[in-house]
Amino acid sequence: MPDFEEIYSLYSPQIFRVCMGYVNDHDQAKDLTQETFIAVWRNLSSFRNESKISTWIFRIATNNCLRAIEKNKRVTKVELPFNLPAVHEETQEEKLAFLYNCIAELEEMDRIIISLVLEDLPQAEIATIIGLSAGNIRVKIHRIKEKLAIKFKDHGQFE
Amino acid sequence: MDNLNDLKAIWLTAKTDDLPGSKEMLRIVKRFRNERLRKKLLIIFVALFAIAMMVVTIFVVRSTMITTILGEVLTIMAALILIFTNTKSMKRFIDLKDCSNKEFIEFLEQTRRNQVYYYKKTQIVGMALSSVGLFLYIYEQVYRSLLATVIFYSIIIIWILFLWLYLRPRNFKKQAIKLNATMEKLRKISDQINEHEK
Repeated sequence: MPDFEEIYSLYSPQIFRVCMGYVNDHDQAKDLTQETFIAVWRNLSSFRNESKISTWIFRIATNNCLRAIEKNKRVTKVELPFNLPAVHEETQEEKLAFLYNCIAELEEMDRIIISLVLEDLPQAEIATIIGLSAGNIRVKIHRIKEKLAIKFKDHGQFE
Repeated sequence: MDNLNDLKAIWLTAKTDDLPGSKEMLRIVKRFRNERLRKKLLIIFVALFAIAMMVVTIFVVRSTMITTILGEVLTIMAALILIFTNTKSMKRFIDLKDCSNKEFIEFLEQTRRNQVYYYKKTQIVGMALSSVGLFLYIYEQVYRSLLATVIFYSIIIIWILFLWLYLRPRNFKKQAIKLNATMEKLRKISDQINEHEK
């Protein structure tokens, strides 16, 4: 049986980022990360290596995110100074907040998919997590990238 | 945004150093108890206790009147419905293992449909059985005294009217608003997933 502490150390930053991409709220993302690892701990003994452990953990995390809608938690959209003056050099934090905000404007499933893409997960693994075919996921990722590109262009960022 | 790698680089700058350490997380997960399942378990125990009390009463008091026995049987039936519904619901959650987002959304939609069925059908049957059961059960205890009959039946009638005309409709309305909102959100996500298959 895989060691819980090892799994946590390895995957918690990734899970946190995916949750953050979904909810765009630091505290809520931390709560969702915690809930994910509570479920991992509870079910670790029954994990039978039928899928990759990363697939299993990302499935738990994204299902947890989807479940958050039952708790009536809303996606945070922080107002950012769009169309920043050309002379202004954005900090890393501003760029990241802007990225989160653009993702927050997407639909729920798109937010999950793009977060997994940004985590560098292979498309086949993303397809297994979502429950769709690899072909469908490929098309979807292409569409999400287009949507994001429009948002970035509209706001004159990272051109 | 013409370079996904730039976005990945920005994405990875998210600070994760304030997450609990692995030792602390281990302490947190060991402390955690599943509140949702615990509540269902509590309902099952209370219902089992009620049945046990009724069975003991049947054998100890040895009622001669059919109304009392019928009242006891109806109350036991109401408790059994409560146990059956909650055990079935608990089993669904325990049996839910590794599943994709698509399967999980289907599971949540089914859960909400079950909840609507419970409020619209099961709860009414359970409440009807226990209300009639109480009405019948109390008869043997009070029928010798007119005053006791009037007092006890008045209290029971007021309680049943309060339950059926105020408490249940109020809770049902509150739950229905919440359930409809959740089901609408689930339907939207389900559409997003199924749209991928087109």
